[in-house]
Amino acid sequence: MANIFPRWTNLLPLKIAVCAGTAAGGAALALAYYATPKAQVVGYQPAQPIPFSHKIHVDQLGLDCRYCHSFVDVAGHSNVPGNNTCWNCHQHVQRESPKLQPLRDRMDATLKHPDFGKPIEWVRVHKAPDYVYFNHSAHVNRGISCQSCHGDVDQMEVVYQAESHSMGWCLECHRAPENHLRPLEEVYNFNYDAETYISNNPQLGVKTTEELGLKLKEQFNVKPKEACATCHH
Amino acid sequence: MSKRIWHHPEVPADETTVAWRSAGQLEDTPEFRQWLEREFPQGAAEMTDETEAETSRRSFLKLMGASTALAGFGMAACRRPEKHLVPYSQAPEWVIPGKATYYASAMPRPHGVTPLVVTSFEGRPTKVAPNRLHPDAEGTDAFAQASILDLYSPSRSKAILGSGKPAKRSDLEKALAEIAKNKFAKIGFLFGADDSPTRNRLRGELKKFTNARFYQYEALIGEAAKALGDGVKLIPDFSKADRIVSLDCDFVGTDLVGPVQGFFERRKPEGKGYANAPDETTMNRLYCVEAAYTLTGGMADHRLRIAASQVVKIAAQIARRLASPELVKDLEVLKDDHQIKWVQGLVADLEANRGKSIVLAGSRQPAAVHHLALAINLALGNIGEGKPLTAVTTGNTGLGTISDLKAAIDAKEIDTLVLLTPSNPLYDAPADLDFATSFKKLKTSIHLGQRTDATAHAATWHIPAAHYLESWSDARSTSGIHTVVQPMILPLYDDCVSELELLLALLSDEGKLINGESEEGAPSPAYTAVRETFAAIADGEAAWKNLLREGFHAGSKYEPAAPKLAGTVSADIAAAVVAEPTKDSLEVIFATDSSVYDGRWIDNGWLQESPDPISKLSWDNAALIAPKTAKALGIYDEIIATENKRALGSPDGEGENRKSPLIKVKVNGKTLEIAALISFGQAENTIVIPLGYGQGYNEENQLGINPINASHVGLVGVNRGFNAYPLRTAKTPYLATGATASLLKKRAYPVALVQEHGSMYGRALAREISTIESKDHKGDFQAQLAKVKYQGNDSHAPKNIYLYKPEDRDGQPLINDLLHQWGMSIDLSSCMGCNACLVACQAENNIPIVGKEQVAKGREMHWIRMDRYFATQEYALDSHGNKIKDEKTGEYQKNPEWVRDNPAFVPQPVACVHCESAPCEVVCPVNATVHTPDGLNSMAYNRCIGTRYCANNCPYKARRCNCFDYNKRNPLIAHNLNKGPLGETKVGDAPHLQRNPNVTVRMRGVMEKCTYCVQRLKDAVIRQKRGQKQEALIAGKPSTEMEVTTATLRIPVDSVKTACQDACPAEAITFGNLLDKEKSALGRSKEIARNYDLLNYIGTRPRTSYLARVKNPNKDMPDAPYVGKATVHMV
Repeated sequence: MANIFPRWTNLLPLKIAVCAGTAAGGAALALAYYATPKAQVVGYQPAQPIPFSHKIHVDQLGLDCRYCHSFVDVAGHSNVPGNNTCWNCHQHVQRESPKLQPLRDRMDATLKHPDFGKPIEWVRVHKAPDYVYFNHSAHVNRGISCQSCHGDVDQMEVVYQAESHSMGWCLECHRAPENHLRPLEEVYNFNYDAETYISNNPQLGVKTTEELGLKLKEQFNVKPKEACATCHH
Repeated sequence: MSKRIWHHPEVPADETTVAWRSAGQLEDTPEFRQWLEREFPQGAAEMTDETEAETSRRSFLKLMGASTALAGFGMAACRRPEKHLVPYSQAPEWVIPGKATYYASAMPRPHGVTPLVVTSFEGRPTKVAPNRLHPDAEGTDAFAQASILDLYSPSRSKAILGSGKPAKRSDLEKALAEIAKNKFAKIGFLFGADDSPTRNRLRGELKKFTNARFYQYEALIGEAAKALGDGVKLIPDFSKADRIVSLDCDFVGTDLVGPVQGFFERRKPEGKGYANAPDETTMNRLYCVEAAYTLTGGMADHRLRIAASQVVKIAAQIARRLASPELVKDLEVLKDDHQIKWVQGLVADLEANRGKSIVLAGSRQPAAVHHLALAINLALGNIGEGKPLTAVTTGNTGLGTISDLKAAIDAKEIDTLVLLTPSNPLYDAPADLDFATSFKKLKTSIHLGQRTDATAHAATWHIPAAHYLESWSDARSTSGIHTVVQPMILPLYDDCVSELELLLALLSDEGKLINGESEEGAPSPAYTAVRETFAAIADGEAAWKNLLREGFHAGSKYEPAAPKLAGTVSADIAAAVVAEPTKDSLEVIFATDSSVYDGRWIDNGWLQESPDPISKLSWDNAALIAPKTAKALGIYDEIIATENKRALGSPDGEGENRKSPLIKVKVNGKTLEIAALISFGQAENTIVIPLGYGQGYNEENQLGINPINASHVGLVGVNRGFNAYPLRTAKTPYLATGATASLLKKRAYPVALVQEHGSMYGRALAREISTIESKDHKGDFQAQLAKVKYQGNDSHAPKNIYLYKPEDRDGQPLINDLLHQWGMSIDLSSCMGCNACLVACQAENNIPIVGKEQVAKGREMHWIRMDRYFATQEYALDSHGNKIKDEKTGEYQKNPEWVRDNPAFVPQPVACVHCESAPCEVVCPVNATVHTPDGLNSMAYNRCIGTRYCANNCPYKARRCNCFDYNKRNPLIAHNLNKGPLGETKVGDAPHLQRNPNVTVRMRGVMEKCTYCVQRLKDAVIRQKRGQKQEALIAGKPSTEMEVTTATLRIPVDSVKTACQDACPAEAITFGNLLDKEKSALGRSKEIARNYDLLNYIGTRPRTSYLARVKNPNKDMPDAPYVGKATVHMV
């Protein structure tokens, strides 16, 4: 039988295997590097210096958002609490927890740790580009809940980004705010359910959640802007 | 590549005003035409420079190809960078991240203090604004606005120097301790002219040094004290003055005498806030006698042009008629017919307004003029309680002069000197005093200063001074109100010491220097001292808290004084007699510079880049010469010619090749080679040289001289202009006579003149009317008012039709916000053309400086362009307002020369006018500039791709292009901008701290322009929404029952101010919500007759409108028929 395949093909399977392997390995690495939650916009979930659980603090203990993010309703920025806010409680509770060691190092003078007095560097999860001037107070005081943009933070063991925060996503709501408007009392309530609210408040005279949204929009005189200068200046 | 030219209709016969910006334009060279018609100045849009030419289209494509190929490897942009949130460890009270806090503080000045409100973000001061609560509120000028930049300046002095070399703090402390312990030290203290109560109290305690002596020195403080007495000054209340005479006193510009708001309020015939019907009788009248244009001269209703040395003769003539002829018997009487008539008219007006006028003598004038001004004021009964002038005694009494100091050093009565003056005596003291030689005789000299200037290098010790926003101090304002200087931040550098801290160190027994923060728990020693001083005025915690909150203590005033004519009056007057200057014996006037003052601001980039209000020269000084004198000296043609011929590379006669010829000025036995410029409205045979420049040169200098004193200045101040201080003598420090000037052949110096940048053209750009009927068919005041809207093309242009539909596809209006519609008006009647708004805008909106080379190319980034026009009445008119033709020659009759040589000075600030029908918006290919529903023409920087079509289509030339990454790469480092990513990006460690966090820092290739401070508007609107919620919650109602109407969401009337409006000392800018209608000052200003739209006839519907300038001439003055007609046409 004649040689159908010339000699040089002997190494071909090996070559193909090596190439395919490299490509597959590269793809796996690329996927790991670019496509895991760490690298995503939605689902970005970096590890924090202290594994703070919103679930424990908000859902189980019932802390209000504004205990820590105290200036969310008065300032453009929603502040991240300083060490002293954590220390208010944690100098008394969970005093032995190893997870809180970085906080104790920074706040407990008796430990004489070199980090004493230094801030904790939290990894930023939600980041608007530098040319976007988003204002928290303009939203939470007008009936837009934390939940609308940040998702069910009360259920998050580790915070991740729940929504894309792209301009199109912002405009979606600016064009139809009725889908997200809540009574001001319910803005920080993560267990809010529009239907329950309607059934508890028959005096409002609304039947569906859409009706409620439209009523609130009119009541609060909400006319969100779509002009560039609203966020870019 | 020139732009389509607008063909204007024929000029009507009654428009006889001739207006121009520059000598080149007046001569109407073809080069100027071409310049005018271009979209950008030549070179601004191209890379013409050798260094720039490295990037050809070809190499650009190569690079682009390579970068695209390489982009695949990194993909770094695909991965989200890890950023950190760093909260406070112990959150301080009152600090809300992202929200500004406002504190009252003040900036000590030679005339007193400028009360300020400082904006601070997380403890980082970024902006100053005037404190309007202060009884002596005076607005802010460009210096006050720019002072914030000095705090973060990279060239600021940071380290202690010992004999000009870096030294250890411990050695300095040893030296201080030695002095402090020696009770018999022969010590002298040299203070500045500001009046700090604590410093004056400590001065008493410093007498522990039994041989201590105290002096005061500032380079340009003048000789008023000789006439008024030690520490006595006259403070004007302009609101009470119906007539004001300025004898060479630039009281609205660099020669500050106190708050000028009252003056400007009375320049508006409708009164403050446009509250009343226009009434010319409420207006004041300003007479100005001066040699060269100042801002005050520009505001004057009547201006007399006369050499500075001859001002005394005018003063004498007034005094002869109003005070005592005996007083001025030695002075010759006026001979010039025009001058005699001018003074006659003035004297009659002053006599008719006894007790309601102010006569001010300029600080540059010799003591004689101050004596005469005092005599006239006394004779007119202008001084006293309830009168326009009050005489007071300040706390700065018993201080010697710099001549006394020199004598004391020479006599060995002083061997240790502590220099606290903000001036720089080794550089700016009169040359014949030879202060440097005496200075060397000192055993120890301690210099406290913010710059490592000449004095810092010569002194045995230089201590870096803390900025006023870093130190505790106090000061007394013009009328003596106790004002606190509150620090906003600890000194940025550890070794920075404040004036009081240094004095307190010397007062302590051990001489221990404590600066900035004291040891744990203890307040700063300066704080304790300031509090102690205040305790003597008002005791108790509440009063102190109030002082800190309001910035001043009401009711604290200077003691009144009763000035009399001094005994030296006749001697001083005799000394002031100087022969009139001639072509061969010129007069050199040493002027205060509006960018560097006496030289102390030379390292401030904002001030250096803001063009001089009169000459429009930035980054340098130059000798200013009247056109006729220049012709007589044979240099006029040279100046005009060099604007064109030498600039062959760029046919515009502008750009980087624009050069001015150098002239050689010889005076007082010294010579100075300096660039020369033509200056209009200047007295003949005078040369004006602004002081304060030429402090140091390095290898890059454009004069081709050897580097000298380069370490005295920083990046901004190096190679700047020419130093005229060596020409000054102690006898006449502000003017020198007997000078000669000659042209230096084939020597020229590049100048960055901005007067033709962004030249608009059109008719009746700046409009002016007069309060009197002047027989030219324009009618009386009311008639002229009614015609304001119909000047220029607006008299006959057809009614505008909207070019673009104001509705969307569904027929809904595009500008549809029912809450706010923003608008602005600029009152040319009170705008004087200073640069306060321009610098304030730069501070608020993160506008970069671009450097001299880039300015010369027309790439300056200022969002506000301060246009300056000269306008004159060239032709004589008959009673119908028509030109008169001479039968014989067939030419039109011209007005007398004294009219034509004294053109009106017309400033006009132009920023984006936010056209409702904006030409820029329709040409943007990427929708980066669009309209907002509340009427703003907004810029989305992140969308802009830099085509510059918008700038091309803007008839107001209000748009700027970031040709380079000016914000990132310091343009002051030679060739840095052309190095691209290899360029130096970090200069100094602090400049970024000044940035306003609420405004995007723009990058290369992005267009930008005025936004009406949209960040402030947004902040105000959101604050209002928040307040409405709080109110509802307090009422206890559920939110679903809350009533939210337009009224609750609309911000209160006149509650938001743009940065320029806030800064303006003249309240010329009014901003607000058009929907507030007549409730707001803006609404009222839009309704009055003076309101007109710039380039109305092209139908852009601008939101910024202008109010015509009103001149209030005296009909008995010889120049009255020519005043109030400077409507500017640029065709």
